[in-house]
Amino acid sequence: MRPKTFWYFTIPSVAVMTLLMVVPLATTIWLGFHRLLLRDLQNPEWIGFENYRDILTDAEFWTAFRWTMLFVLIVVPIQMVSGLAVALLLDRVRRIRSVYMAALLMPFIVTPVVGSLVYRDLFDRGGLIAWLWEVITDDPFQITSGNVRYLIVIQAVWAVMPFAMITFFAGLQTLPQDRVEAASIDGAGFWRQLWHVTLPHLRTLVLFVGLISIMDMYRIYDQVFVWTGNRFTEAHTLQVYNVRIATAFDIGRVGKGNALAVLTVIGILVVLIPFLYQSYRDQIAERT
Amino acid sequence: MRYGKSSWWRGALLHTTMLVLVIWSVLPFLWTVQTSIKFTRDVAAKEPVLWGYETTASAYRSFWLDADDANMWRVGLFILATALIAAAFALAGRWLRPAWAFRLASVVTLLGALWLFPRIWETNDEYDFLVNSIVVTLLTMIISLSIGLLAGYGLARYTGISGAVILIIALGFRALPRSAFVLPYFFGATRIDDWLESSGVGNFDFPLIDVPLIDELRLLDTRLVVVLALVAVNQPFTIWMFRSFFMDIPKELEEAAMMDGASRLQAFRKVIVPVMTPAIIATGLFTLLLAYNEFLFVRVLAPTEWTLPVAIVSLTGGESSRTITEAAAASVSITLPIVIVIILFQKHLVKGLGAGAVKG
Repeated sequence: MRPKTFWYFTIPSVAVMTLLMVVPLATTIWLGFHRLLLRDLQNPEWIGFENYRDILTDAEFWTAFRWTMLFVLIVVPIQMVSGLAVALLLDRVRRIRSVYMAALLMPFIVTPVVGSLVYRDLFDRGGLIAWLWEVITDDPFQITSGNVRYLIVIQAVWAVMPFAMITFFAGLQTLPQDRVEAASIDGAGFWRQLWHVTLPHLRTLVLFVGLISIMDMYRIYDQVFVWTGNRFTEAHTLQVYNVRIATAFDIGRVGKGNALAVLTVIGILVVLIPFLYQSYRDQIAERT
Repeated sequence: MRYGKSSWWRGALLHTTMLVLVIWSVLPFLWTVQTSIKFTRDVAAKEPVLWGYETTASAYRSFWLDADDANMWRVGLFILATALIAAAFALAGRWLRPAWAFRLASVVTLLGALWLFPRIWETNDEYDFLVNSIVVTLLTMIISLSIGLLAGYGLARYTGISGAVILIIALGFRALPRSAFVLPYFFGATRIDDWLESSGVGNFDFPLIDVPLIDELRLLDTRLVVVLALVAVNQPFTIWMFRSFFMDIPKELEEAAMMDGASRLQAFRKVIVPVMTPAIIATGLFTLLLAYNEFLFVRVLAPTEWTLPVAIVSLTGGESSRTITEAAAASVSITLPIVIVIILFQKHLVKGLGAGAVKG
């Protein structure tokens, strides 16, 4: 394809991405150096790194940062291991597999805020689990700032596990049967087969699911917002904290919010750059 | 994969485990469904009333309708009839020709019912939010898929370095948090609106046509700004997905057509796009989920032009007078359409996830 034809095909998409992603990102960086309040968006005032100093000395930021890191480190491994386990089980099912699949995919497709709402119903007063808790422990169950983090983690695992499951399941369908048979003829048990045959085959998928999940959990917003709202601000993740300080009615500090967004972007890029570099080299290799 | 011989108890164990997993996945929904059809007194009871309770559709009525005496059996019948007619048209399109006419009839049925419904029953604001959701989702899908399809094709066939650079930058953008975009969108839209107002351009009356998206020309708090934001953040994913599908289509296909005198664009439209149908459906499903489920952009950029997710969170929050049963009815109502779509197209969704993953 000639370069001119290539640009004809790609220009609408590239224009959209430039206007609505590159320009906004540059605006974010620029606004991060300004004092800018939500009630007075007309007058950004240049203050250099003031916003950054403000954030890094803010105890609330560090709470949100530590909680977000902890959240990613708990949810992603659980999601990957349980996703792989369920994919292996699903792979052995012969009958009514698609029925199981449809049911297991439910948490993945449902609107995230609705997922949190229906989960909250179980734990709220009159909910099934709240009632069971009361029957077993004799204490009424209440969502508190102490336990809301556990509930967020449980619901997040529930919501994202199907993604890992279905991706690994797709990978298992392309597992070469002769290698499986060779392994069982050699007398390899389940674990040895998993370690030496299945996992090496799924290697790129494990990396793929891992990266996507880290990205998605790092920037989680919807579910955490529903669980915490304005009641449990100490359980806010970075995104919720970020949007809150920037858009809170009357006191929104848009400049500080943008500075924090820049820090969040830098955070994820640090994780991502080796992978982006590798993808770039793959792309170049594909072309020569 | 097989690990040794299977026996009956292994099969039983497997299916039991699967059943437990299914319960874990759908139990919250089942609980919400049974809450939504109860009377408030049974929901508030100290011990949950699990069976033998009286059922009612009043939660659905008070969430969607502004008429306390509306007969919910008739509403249900109306929805059922719409669904059946639409399904009948869609199915007929599988055998009768021209297929597109039947598919169109199916879509017209659904849109017609959507138009007719508030003319039969007095509806609440929530109905407008449903319409907003549908408008935003459809527009996002149309724009995002058409420009993404073109770019995905270009990126799959072009071998220059600039293609690689675009792909890698897009991949980086895929990872960025929403906060890096929603704040500058908000700032930019406010500035543009100020300019439109002060210069008088925004109050310009279009002769003859009524622009359906925008009442008076402005950005903030319109469906348009939400659509633009969603199209933008969805582009990286869309072009990568389409590119990986296009890579599977042999070049010879369009080269043969171009030998016969077709231009590149004609070859693309007549030869390539038809074989891409499964890819378009798969990518379309993900775009649909993204747009229908969006929460943050709508909350910040459209403070009153809500879509359903924002509406449900705002209306079921602590300060609202909505009851638990109404919140449950709302949850069920907004989940049901998406579940039906996904069950109908489950194969495409799974294939799309597989394709994106195996190559990505």
